[in-house]
Amino acid sequence: MTGDVASGEPPAVELDAVSRTYTRGEPVYALDDVSVTLARGSYTAVMGPSGSGKSTLLNLVGCLDTPTAGTVSVAGEDVTALSSRQRARVRGEEVGFVFQTFNLMPRLTAEENVALPLVFQGVARAERLGRARDLLDRVGLGDRTDHRPSELSGGQRQRVAIARALVTDPAIVLADEPTGNVDTETGDRIMALLDDLHAAGNTILLVTHQRAIADRAERIVRLRDGEIEGIDAVDTGGAAR
Amino acid sequence: MNLAESLRLAVRSIRGHKLRAALTALGIVIGIAAVITFVTLGASVKAEVVGQFDDSPANRVFLVASPDDDGGPPAALSQPVFTEYDVGRIEDIEGVDRVVPRGTIATSALSHGGETVARDQVTATTPALFESVTFRAGGPFADAESGDACPAEMVVTPSAAALFPGNLSVGDRVSVTQRGNRTRNVTVVGILDGDAGLNPLAGFGSQPRFYLPSCAYDTVVTSPTTGTRQNVYPQVTVVAENPGDTAAVQDRVQDYLDAESDAAQLAPESYAVSAQTNDDIVQRIETVVDRLTQFVTGIAVISLLVGAIGIANIMLVSVRERTKEIGIMKAVGATNRDVLQLFLVEALLLGVGGALLGVPVGVAGGWIAVTYAELPLTLPLGWVGAAIGIGLLVGVVSGLYPAWSAARVDPIDALRYE
Repeated sequence: MTGDVASGEPPAVELDAVSRTYTRGEPVYALDDVSVTLARGSYTAVMGPSGSGKSTLLNLVGCLDTPTAGTVSVAGEDVTALSSRQRARVRGEEVGFVFQTFNLMPRLTAEENVALPLVFQGVARAERLGRARDLLDRVGLGDRTDHRPSELSGGQRQRVAIARALVTDPAIVLADEPTGNVDTETGDRIMALLDDLHAAGNTILLVTHQRAIADRAERIVRLRDGEIEGIDAVDTGGAAR
Repeated sequence: MNLAESLRLAVRSIRGHKLRAALTALGIVIGIAAVITFVTLGASVKAEVVGQFDDSPANRVFLVASPDDDGGPPAALSQPVFTEYDVGRIEDIEGVDRVVPRGTIATSALSHGGETVARDQVTATTPALFESVTFRAGGPFADAESGDACPAEMVVTPSAAALFPGNLSVGDRVSVTQRGNRTRNVTVVGILDGDAGLNPLAGFGSQPRFYLPSCAYDTVVTSPTTGTRQNVYPQVTVVAENPGDTAAVQDRVQDYLDAESDAAQLAPESYAVSAQTNDDIVQRIETVVDRLTQFVTGIAVISLLVGAIGIANIMLVSVRERTKEIGIMKAVGATNRDVLQLFLVEALLLGVGGALLGVPVGVAGGWIAVTYAELPLTLPLGWVGAAIGIGLLVGVVSGLYPAWSAARVDPIDALRYE
């Protein structure tokens, strides 16, 4: 995976005129005619107040939700038309989630948590645990592989979650308020880790409501009431592509 | 996801709730154990009873008068309808070697040398009964010629002899107190070597039994054919000369009974007088024992059902508790089928685990029951195998709905679930 975009290669994620409407009593436009393209190797932050549609956008890209109108493509594949089984495959292979609340399996060890996505892809146990240990090394937890989430600090848990998001070598890493549940210092370290991932060529979509966090990305997509308010390039921080 | 991975994850989550899993499986343990206990008891009773008949020579035809519905308990409720006239006529039928009538004399007690044993009946029969058995000591009592005084003699089984302290032995004097306080003093002339097969119509062979000559018998009736007062017996055994002719003898005896016997005329309305072979009787007894076993097993199956509901219940709770985990698994690529499989395997483990534990408990229970009833143990091995299958089935059936509802969990809601 490299930072430069070959002309023939599809973008990591492409949203084309995407709307998502919930009908709870009366229709609510969570997303309204949103189009945005995330190039391979790019680092994009999505900002907006609560209710602006940030989570909906993330769920659509992560194949957890389907749009009411428009198309969502992940790694060149239109995922809006897929069956639930195929969307599960895309979630497992093309998308890596990092959640605000970590969302680790409480009874599994760190390395088993990291290896979990590979379980559903039928990767043999020895191989997937080997890959998990490599990634835990990379996030600086090589000495915590046998610990359960309850035996880890918040920052360590989030690093396990990041390792899990990377284990399938996905087209895009989706980070939903990854620093929301940790103190500032730990948050800085996690953001530094994301910077490293970006530098290594990973595509990252970060959702946050903190300007300081969003500023670490290359681009900021500002959402309000389900619509794109503006897309800003960030001068400082990541190198422009 | 392959099955080994589901197993690994299911074992992990069962381990996470050891006590809960143990209590859930206990429901199945009790259900399977109860079924196996009762089936074992039934099989043992059947094997014992049928074994008695297998000891009985194949050349016997048993005459009984019993309620005219199929499958009723044979012989035990047989009515006294066979007169001495009938016994004489049947002896003359072609192929018949001998005819042994048998009846009970109501008693209140037997006493010997100051020791009194309460017995409510002794058996009256003819020496012909003892022709095919061996004696441990002594021999049969004398045949009572009509007009002679009734021989004051008695034959006993070893278990009957053992009822008296120091055992009865040949030559001992016993006084039998009959109904109405009449006392008959007799001498023990023979002790049998056991009476297996001798008395198949009267229950288990190991029961203590006292035999008196037929002339001591006190149930009499006016023979409809001869018009004279005669002994009338509830049970008659016909011994064929040749075992190969047993079926033919059975037919001829049945023809006589139907056509012109006293028995047919004396039998109450709705009673049938019939000649049956070993096989006929074995079949009827098997039917009765099977029916009883089915009934009791049916009750045990209810407890199995309760166990299954327990699994379903705990699995539903578990799906609820692990909603978030289901969301995580789906977010990292688990399909609905993976989630379904995971929960189904967990329910299956509880069911099969319960069954595997239930089998030894049930076998032990059966062994205790059989030992208590003094029967030899007969293990219904087919049922032991079936128990494992039932455990699987219970696991699948009770896990199906919870697993299905787990698979349907919406990952977005599940990830938000706290």
